[in-house]
Amino acid sequence: MTAFALVCNYEGDYGMKLLMVDSNDTMDDVARIARENIASVFVPEPPPGTHLRVRKHGGEEFIAHALTVADEGFVSMETVDIIHVRD
Amino acid sequence: MDLKLSDWYDIARDTNWTPRYVTEEALFPPQFSDPHGIPVSEWEKFDEPYKVTYRDYVRTQREKDVGAYSVKSALSRVEFYKKADPGWKSLLQMHFGAVPFVEYGSVSAFARITRFGKGPGMRNMANFGTLDEIRHTQIQMFFAYEFLSVDRAFDWAHKAPNTDNWVIMSERHCFDDIEHTRDAVSAAIMTNFSFEQGFTNLQFIALSADAKRYGDYSFAAMLQTVQSDEARHSQIGEPLIQIMIDNGKKAEAQKLIDISFWRVWKQFSALSGIAFDYYTPLAQRESSLKEFVHEFVTTQFLRNVNALGLEKPWYWDEHFLPDVDTFHHAQQIGIYLYRETEWWDPVAGVSPPERDWLEQKYPGWNDTFGQVWDVITDNIRQGRLDRTKPRPLPMMCAMTGLELTGVPGKHWKVKDHTLDLDGRRYHFGSVVDKWIFEQEPARYKKYLGFIDRFVAGQMPPGPDGVFEYMNMAPEERGTCGTNYAWVEAFRLAS
Repeated sequence: MTAFALVCNYEGDYGMKLLMVDSNDTMDDVARIARENIASVFVPEPPPGTHLRVRKHGGEEFIAHALTVADEGFVSMETVDIIHVRD
Repeated sequence: MDLKLSDWYDIARDTNWTPRYVTEEALFPPQFSDPHGIPVSEWEKFDEPYKVTYRDYVRTQREKDVGAYSVKSALSRVEFYKKADPGWKSLLQMHFGAVPFVEYGSVSAFARITRFGKGPGMRNMANFGTLDEIRHTQIQMFFAYEFLSVDRAFDWAHKAPNTDNWVIMSERHCFDDIEHTRDAVSAAIMTNFSFEQGFTNLQFIALSADAKRYGDYSFAAMLQTVQSDEARHSQIGEPLIQIMIDNGKKAEAQKLIDISFWRVWKQFSALSGIAFDYYTPLAQRESSLKEFVHEFVTTQFLRNVNALGLEKPWYWDEHFLPDVDTFHHAQQIGIYLYRETEWWDPVAGVSPPERDWLEQKYPGWNDTFGQVWDVITDNIRQGRLDRTKPRPLPMMCAMTGLELTGVPGKHWKVKDHTLDLDGRRYHFGSVVDKWIFEQEPARYKKYLGFIDRFVAGQMPPGPDGVFEYMNMAPEERGTCGTNYAWVEAFRLAS
């Protein structure tokens, strides 16, 4: 378990945030941590029927839910987009 | 028989000589003086439009000081401040912490131009510039210190540069880059032409107009008297650029302007933009930032650029003009939410009539920046004040040192422009910031910004670690300038 810094681009927010996660955190964990810190502070809570997915900043494909930060080979302060997806 | 100024001025200021005991290169090392190899005979053609003798300078400056300081004496500033609108207090607190140390830095910048400029006229004008900047530092610190008895924020007029507060780090990075770490020619073009001619009118003339409308005649007088000096010493830039162009260095001059204009724009966008569009009480706003930029920057600065035969900076249409509409709005959100990290007490400036004004001046504001303010407003209305103090730190641009922002809400667009270099990833808030870095990576690459230092573990641990790092005791940390009273208007409206 190692602290890992990500740069988080949360959909709807005005700017990017430094998100401290753990290298063993999955993408779902990353999305959850982002939501806990950003939703209802800068942007509304995700509407019912949506969940959050993670992708590399500017990428098209979402990263698999269960892949970890370490698995994905992020560099320190990798920028990720947190995107609302309808269920 | 009295001699006219025109009879002796050119002779008196021609202080060049042919060195006999050292080489010209030893006397004027290129890295401090002129790296372009332009002959001294060309530099001696430097001809400043506004000429002044030392005797006239002293007399004029004394008259200016009598004028400014007497206005201050006539008006009880402490009582004025106590009764001032919270937004005006925010503005004064922010200005007096952010500006004096930059003025003081310019003292040494001009002194270096005085020593290392090859043109006698350039050295002469820079010498007066040094004295000007001493005056600007003194007058602004003196005016600030009057409020110290009623507000601890004004201690930052002196304290700011002795801290690693993130706002101050951002300013230092910018002005160290353009003024303090370059040869005399580059520093003069960047400081006198881009910075002073491009932008100081925004903070000192446009803001003076708002100050007069608000009734803060003392502050208005102070700003105007400072700017009267800028009008003289900022002229160093144009004759300098002309000599560069005449000697085949047009592209070099253009690049220096392109770099420095953007760097300074980012600082003034945050400083002046927030002051004009959020802190100045609504009834006293002369114009929006966008309107002031059009009047003082787009029109006047471009006219000066064109007159020299230069181009407007390459990013003007695609990046600068859109940025005028957006950047400071995003910065204001962060300035308010992360208020504890600032020495001043920010106001939100988004009551219903203020939002109407913002929408009118910046169509689409409510669908974008307003969407974030909706969340903040609702949190305060529901008593969830803890949610107005974010836990995650904002990501910052490696060039500006300001938050890496874009447009939120219904037209969400925030882009991180990254660069990988020597095993490190750099993050930039715009194409232009990244371009500036790429012009001279060695200049910038070793610098660690505020967030870099946090990630590297250079700050003390614990929830107060960043504040300890910035040397901010609890009583120095910003609070909402209206103590959240601004949401009352929403309660009444509903």
